[in-house]
Amino acid sequence: MPDLSLIRNFSIVAHIDHGKSTLADRILEYTGVVTKREMREQFLDDMDLEREMGITIKANRATCPYPYKGRTYMLNLIDTPGHVDFHYEVSRALAACEGVLVLVDATQGVQAQTVANAFAAIEAGLSIVLVINKIDLPAARPEDIALEAEQVLGLDASHAVFTSGKTGVGMDDLFKAIVEHIPPPNGDPQGALRALIYDAKSDIHRGVICHTRVFDGTFKRGDKIDLMAAGRSFIITEVGKFTPKPGAVESLSAGEVGYFVAGIKTLVDVTIGDTLTLASNPTDRPLPGYQPPQQMVFCDFYPGMGSTTDQLREAMEKLWLNDSSYTYATVGSDALGIGFRCGFLGLLHMRIIQERLEREGNVTVVQTAPTVTYEIKLKDGTVTRIESPSELPDMSNIEEIREPFVNAQLIIPAECVGVVMQLSRERRGRHIKTEYLSPTRVMMTYDLPLCEIIYDFYDKLKSCTKGYGTADYHVRGYDPGDMVKMDILVNGVPVDALSVIVHRDKTLYRGRRLLERLKKQIDRHQFEIPLQAAIGTKVIARETIKAFRKDVTAKCYGGDITRKRKLLDKQKEGKKRMRTVGNVSIPQEAFMSILDPDD
Amino acid sequence: MPSNPPITSPSLAPCGLYVHVPFCETKCGYCDFYSVALKDRNPTPLVDCIGRELRQRVNGCAHAVRTVFFGGGTPTILPLSELARLLNFVYEAVNVRQLEEFTVEANPATVDDEKAELLVSSGVSRVSMGAQSFFRNELATLERLHSPEDIAPSVATLRRHGVGQINLDLIFGIPGQTLETWSQSLSRAIDLGPDHIACYGLTYEPGTRLTAMRRHGRMTPCDEDIEADMFLRTFDTLESAGYRQYEISNYAKPGCECRHNLLYWRNEPYIGVGPSAAGCVDGRRYKNVADVAGYVRLIERDGHAEVDSEIIDTEMLIVELVMMQLRLNEGLSIAVFRERIGVDPRDSFGEALMRLVDLGLVTVSDTHIALTRSGRLVANTVVAELAAVPRQADLALPIL
Repeated sequence: MPDLSLIRNFSIVAHIDHGKSTLADRILEYTGVVTKREMREQFLDDMDLEREMGITIKANRATCPYPYKGRTYMLNLIDTPGHVDFHYEVSRALAACEGVLVLVDATQGVQAQTVANAFAAIEAGLSIVLVINKIDLPAARPEDIALEAEQVLGLDASHAVFTSGKTGVGMDDLFKAIVEHIPPPNGDPQGALRALIYDAKSDIHRGVICHTRVFDGTFKRGDKIDLMAAGRSFIITEVGKFTPKPGAVESLSAGEVGYFVAGIKTLVDVTIGDTLTLASNPTDRPLPGYQPPQQMVFCDFYPGMGSTTDQLREAMEKLWLNDSSYTYATVGSDALGIGFRCGFLGLLHMRIIQERLEREGNVTVVQTAPTVTYEIKLKDGTVTRIESPSELPDMSNIEEIREPFVNAQLIIPAECVGVVMQLSRERRGRHIKTEYLSPTRVMMTYDLPLCEIIYDFYDKLKSCTKGYGTADYHVRGYDPGDMVKMDILVNGVPVDALSVIVHRDKTLYRGRRLLERLKKQIDRHQFEIPLQAAIGTKVIARETIKAFRKDVTAKCYGGDITRKRKLLDKQKEGKKRMRTVGNVSIPQEAFMSILDPDD
Repeated sequence: MPSNPPITSPSLAPCGLYVHVPFCETKCGYCDFYSVALKDRNPTPLVDCIGRELRQRVNGCAHAVRTVFFGGGTPTILPLSELARLLNFVYEAVNVRQLEEFTVEANPATVDDEKAELLVSSGVSRVSMGAQSFFRNELATLERLHSPEDIAPSVATLRRHGVGQINLDLIFGIPGQTLETWSQSLSRAIDLGPDHIACYGLTYEPGTRLTAMRRHGRMTPCDEDIEADMFLRTFDTLESAGYRQYEISNYAKPGCECRHNLLYWRNEPYIGVGPSAAGCVDGRRYKNVADVAGYVRLIERDGHAEVDSEIIDTEMLIVELVMMQLRLNEGLSIAVFRERIGVDPRDSFGEALMRLVDLGLVTVSDTHIALTRSGRLVANTVVAELAAVPRQADLALPIL
């Protein structure tokens, strides 16, 4: 039975690029679990995509021995993803820990995700070690940054640890701080088994590998276990720890972190956050578990050039078994064929899933513009959620439309306050507060509609703060908004696939932009084509595609016939890829480009 | 020459004979017909070979040749003796007295008294003259060699020798041309009293110097709206001067329509001889090699110079009927369509046709489907719309 007082379970949280992965590498290397020779750069980021994008998507883990004052401590690192979209994965990791390292870049200071993650750890009641990293850089200001963190996050700057993940400076101080400031787990190894499944991965040879943190009790190979929420029983075939490669051990006990294999075939059979207990001696106090991830952003995936719907479906099913953080359902569009409506945690999540589909599933994906979920309260009192404007019920039956709002933290240079306020106002943001982190840096808190930030808010924030601004948000709930459905009419005929839900104040702007882009995509026809944006029966914007005036072959004699006929055949092929709406041929690309978020 | 008997003989459809003479003084930048500079070449072997192919083709064709057309290139650039030989081949092969029309293309300043006399005495009834423009700068843009002053004397020479019908070709949409200069060219052409005027919108054909220049931005094409105005102005000007539009680019005094070209537009058979010439007889179209030396070699070795041929199936024929006959003001003959395809075109084009009618681009009468004035401006689109109609005709075809 392990000595609980020698165990430390911790995560590292940081803003993107503050050196979390590099620091994790040093921890593994300094504790000897991975030799320098074995050390791939950023060992823990084991997906290609993660390495390429420089971000951690899936939480990782390792058990590291650390000798201190004559005793050997087991430090269980539970790595977390860094991006805003992966809050839920962060919260999973935090629930398996007693402490957290809040990592801050010594040159950049506290950033939006530092704040979000640190507050999540504080709320979870974890002990926090403030780590100021990258102190090897010439521009490092570790003391200033520590004070900034104290001011913003309320952490004690005097206990801050200064490190460099790159050079290894300060690693001993870090280990000491982990041992001394993070409490050991408290649990009863003899009690009824309570273990949290905080993650799970699929392995083609062994089935599902569940990552677990044991709170009470002990389990070993051969035990019959119950997954309490799932209501299913399995026999444990392997118990192990990550060092960081999986290695079998005799058993896992209260306070320990590791994995088990139990003949579970697919990830669908496992609920992350479920409580594991022994069938022979079940606990009557299951762990609280997790809120299921909430998909907030939706878009459609259609097979792109050279791919079929079946290929895309297969790729989506395969990826979903490995990562069920997104949802998908078949949708049909007259314009675009058969595709999938997918739900994501955020925009980055959406991009990553798309890239993984293309890379791992070897398909091309055409993606439509993202939209958010709306809550619709009907006059009869019922409330439904819709993921697409086409699902919107008849307006006369609607009591109100509620849109998701986020609480957003924007950390920006002080001189950019004006432009950021302007940007937030344009996005219907409500200013909550402004705090000075230092004389030169400001944290602004805004209440913002999610639909206003899913398009290009980050890009705009970056460009108006010369790249220094950072943002983080969490969805706080739904509020009624003056939302309307805007229809787009081509030659007088409404085109379903082009309808959008938009705030009444934005209809004119959005309508004009949409029509301008549509105009560029549709060829001139024999007749003038009016393009209209309408709210109900009221037209709010209009563009006209002029009729082409002259399209006639001047000469067509005996020697020209074959060539001209073949030209017509070519045109005929082209027409097949068009959709005709109200006598107007709209190319498939038009639907895509109009929906393109990159305004 | 007999005057305009009905175009279809009851027994067997008449047939046209096209002879391609691929020589020019120099090659114009916009031209995509096959031609080479004559310079120091000896045309004799080519003329021999054309004669040989002409004899074979005409003798092997069940249809009686009723029209002859010498095109090019510039047929009249041939030395007198070679031109005489070529004309003589026609005289030997076909019954010239039964011809309805015998056209030779010419350029201003390429026809002197001797040649005009030769043409007329050989049975040539019509000369088509590439006047193109009456403005020096426009002719220069087109890389034409003649000057505006050459046009009237050339026409006078032809008239003096008794050429029955004269056509003038004009081009609009030339870079730098305005509605005003185009109107003036039209008036100058009318003043010369030709029987027929062909007005072509300048076309940027693939592979021509003109197209390359536009691609490299060394030349700005005429604005589409101005070109459309020119097209309409042409119609108004020529109609009021007594020239009736009978095809998109062709206007004639009553009875002076080009009978040979009408064969193309009515999808009737034609024989083609010479380098790059195409022919279409009995549902089979062929094309000769577009190379003088290659043509001579093939004719001498194999007796023909075809490098391409296709059998026109029903689907192709439908498209060709629409594509060609809609060019005519009279339009697509419902009777001909029914006879050759087996269904009424009004049925087989169904909704697409009605949509075009609703848009005011097409009219449907008891006998014809025709373009309207505004439909003519966008003829390609109309044809494309109809060509894209799925083949319901397949289903309706009678089982043979």
